[in-house]
Amino acid sequence: MRWFITALILIINLILQSTLFEYIAIIGIKPNTALIIVVCTAFMRGENEGVITGAFAGFLQDSFFGMFIGLHMFLYMVTGYLCGKFLSGFYKESIIIPVLITLISTFCYEFLFYIFSILLRGYTNFPYFLSTIILPEMVYSAIFSLLLYRLLYKINMWLEEKYKYRRKVF
Amino acid sequence: MEFISKHKKWIFTLLILCCAAIAGLTLNRAKFSVLENAFGFVIVPIQNFNTSVSGWLKSKINIITNLNDIENENIALKAELENKTELENKVKLLERENEKLNELLETDSKYGNYPTISAKIIAKDPGNWYDNFTIDKGSKDGLEKNMVVLAAGGLVGRIKECGLFYSKVVSLIDDSDSVSSKSLRTDDIGFVRGDLSQKNLCRMDYIDNDAEIIEGDEIITSHLSEIYPPGITIGYVKEIKPDTNTLTKVAIIEPTVDFKHLENVLVITHSYEKTNISTVPEDETSESTADSEG
Repeated sequence: MRWFITALILIINLILQSTLFEYIAIIGIKPNTALIIVVCTAFMRGENEGVITGAFAGFLQDSFFGMFIGLHMFLYMVTGYLCGKFLSGFYKESIIIPVLITLISTFCYEFLFYIFSILLRGYTNFPYFLSTIILPEMVYSAIFSLLLYRLLYKINMWLEEKYKYRRKVF
Repeated sequence: MEFISKHKKWIFTLLILCCAAIAGLTLNRAKFSVLENAFGFVIVPIQNFNTSVSGWLKSKINIITNLNDIENENIALKAELENKTELENKVKLLERENEKLNELLETDSKYGNYPTISAKIIAKDPGNWYDNFTIDKGSKDGLEKNMVVLAAGGLVGRIKECGLFYSKVVSLIDDSDSVSSKSLRTDDIGFVRGDLSQKNLCRMDYIDNDAEIIEGDEIITSHLSEIYPPGITIGYVKEIKPDTNTLTKVAIIEPTVDFKHLENVLVITHSYEKTNISTVPEDETSESTADSEG
């Protein structure tokens, strides 16, 4: 059930991201909600689920838009793992912590993407990309994570309540 | 479940290696796998619906907000249309004259009519770095890898991969391809590719240092390309500067296509590559083969 709901959220997110987000883009920058979902799942549920959610989100995005399958999958997986490993100890009900985590993880994700995909093509002026793409995306994603985290948190609580006595933890 | 938590690190490493393996396998393929086609079967209709609805809403909102401008625009367009009909007649006359002259010279028309089908853009890359998109036609409609995608007035890109119900298109401004091209006025050859550090612009590399290319020149695809048919407009030269590393010139090019507001595209439905190979033996005159090579 939990897997089914997470997969459904990611698929709906991909559809929205690729069609409607074009209209809410500010200076050509769209928020990366797939990353927010991966990071929040990792934050709430630990690194195992972070990795698997990240792998699925990356696979979806790669199979529709990537140059090849694997790059986004790898990056989402690594981000999910790191978030789950080092940040899942924080207090879950706070409003500000998910925002900070989104800021940090968006930076890490985009920095890794720059290294793996853009730098290898010979674009060495990182400050330009930092100011035009990475920083606006960080801010925009952080604003989105305020809303999205509350929603994901509610869903998580609901599922936890429902499967309290049946679920096997790993 | 215990097994997973015990060997967590090994499983994670294995997954990363899997990523690399899949990347290697899918780097240069032409068709999607069954799994992706299955995803496409579910997701594409929803995306299609979403894009149509939002496009419709946007156009309605535009009509309401720009009601005053529309009247002025209408007057301007009518005036323009009159000019256009005049121009069209002129073009027809020139075309006929061109045909006659071609008959006299016994050469085929250089810029043939390419068979195209129209396709709708259903989704755009959610990331902020690239401008790839997917279209709603796939191999079921006869599309293949490396078919060329056009839009009103110019080159958009080519099909990167083809699924049953949808295809991935890489756009010209994405720095994934180099297009062999030339300037229409002076026939100077160069390679156009996207430039990520200048959004929505392209650069043309390796122009000869003696080339007499100037700002405002039209750049078209050249006959040297294996994928792109010759004579498709790419854009206009915006700026020219010397490249100090290779002692050549670099031109910054503004594409004629508005990549930000693309909605419909045309796909040339036969691979130019193939026709080039298959027609050459059929042409019996030595002149035409020499022409296609030259």
